[in-house]
Amino acid sequence: MNAPIFRDDLTIKPQGLSMSNEVAALKGRLLKSIGRSVYVYRVDCGGCNGCEIEIFAAITPIFDAERFGIKVVPSPRHADILLYTGAVTRAMRMPGLRAYEAAPEPKIVVSYGACGNTGGIFHDLYCVWGGTDQIVPVDVYIPGCPPSPQATIYGFAMALGLLDQKLKETHHVEGEGESVPLIHPEIPYALRVAVERRAREMAGYLHGKVIAEAFLAALAAPEPASVEARLAALTAQESDPRVVEIYGQLRAVLRAMVVEQAS
Amino acid sequence: MFKLLKEIFRTGQATALYPFAPPQTIKDSRGKPEHDPVKCIACAACTGACPANALSMKTDVAAGTRTWAINYGQCVFCGRCQEVCPTNAIALTTEFELAVARKDDLITRATFKLAYCRTCGAAFSTLKEVDYVARLLGALAETPKEAERIRAHAEICPACKRRLDVEEMAQANPVRQMECL
Ligand code: SF4
Ligand code: SF4
Ligand code: SF4
Repeated sequence: MNAPIFRDDLTIKPQGLSMSNEVAALKGRLLKSIGRSVYVYRVDCGGCNGCEIEIFAAITPIFDAERFGIKVVPSPRHADILLYTGAVTRAMRMPGLRAYEAAPEPKIVVSYGACGNTGGIFHDLYCVWGGTDQIVPVDVYIPGCPPSPQATIYGFAMALGLLDQKLKETHHVEGEGESVPLIHPEIPYALRVAVERRAREMAGYLHGKVIAEAFLAALAAPEPASVEARLAALTAQESDPRVVEIYGQLRAVLRAMVVEQAS
Repeated sequence: MFKLLKEIFRTGQATALYPFAPPQTIKDSRGKPEHDPVKCIACAACTGACPANALSMKTDVAAGTRTWAINYGQCVFCGRCQEVCPTNAIALTTEFELAVARKDDLITRATFKLAYCRTCGAAFSTLKEVDYVARLLGALAETPKEAERIRAHAEICPACKRRLDVEEMAQANPVRQMECL
């Protein structure tokens, strides 16, 4: 049988690009406080186009990135910021590098979206280099798939020294006697499973869990009101008719199990 | 001109003020998956479910630890981790201010202690997970003695469990059902 082939065997790791001290100093000043408008050139290195759509959403009047003088330009020769989206496919490596070389110094490189940061959902494809920083030095990483327009504005504000970084690397180490409480121990396990299963059938994976949790929390709440009254109150609070329908179904599941127990 | 001004006043301001005002996010917008390491039992359900492999679990037997990590740069904010987490230790929030200048700041880690099999001494799980499973199944037991037996079983590695099962079966001396056919 043939030996397995891994992506790293098929691709070479490119050398990092070098930068003179002078340019690095200029770039440092640019990153700290730019004090003028900035021109952005967008390089799509093989994403799904979701990121492009959000970038254009960010320059619409609702989010209006031009308030900060951020303007999208059609040529890298005008650019202060190069905005790389996409996972950097093999075919896009050279165009990506050409755009970088074409932009005048000093330039800021922003890596946009999960794809641009690490390759994201496409990280283990055979034709993917896995992130902008594999080919050019990156100054700011904006996570998201795609980043929302507000996240885009935050990322740019950070790149231009207007806002500070919030996310920091953390490492939690398990302390002595850490113990996790059981979830809803007062609800019979079989009922919990039945409710969660029904909610997921009705609402799909994530919302199913969220809806089931809200339902179980109302069921387990230590209130003087009767169970039926509490669940009716939960249903009455909900404005989304689809969720109301699902709560109705979950109450039916509950009733069926209670009747079964009684008989 | 007058018409234009009238239109402008009628429309009001469309632009969101962010970043000069608090962000407007809706309840269901998908942002940073927030992990509570105290509630996490290191079961690795989320790392198996994560479609982008943003979550990882590494076991270091020599150090006796298992380290969970999330890379926010790789996460696609799908919420699969929230769905599968048995203890609700990880859940999406609406936090979106995640941009960083240093790539390592995208990573959050949590380290847990390994559990060792009480029969053969091999590392097979984490202390918190074994404890959680024993309490979860123990709550279903009808007698305290049964709960104690469940806890004892939870603290044994799969290989030893298989061996013990065979021994228990042999002791019980089951009648062979097939012979009379
Ligand atoms: S980060 Fe997500 S939205 Fe952006 S290009 Fe990649 S897959 Fe598409
Ligand atoms: S939200 Fe999705 S991509 Fe992000 S860590 Fe959870 S499972 Fe992985
Ligand atoms: S699924 Fe939940 S408990 Fe299990 S490792 Fe992930 S966060 Fe921790």
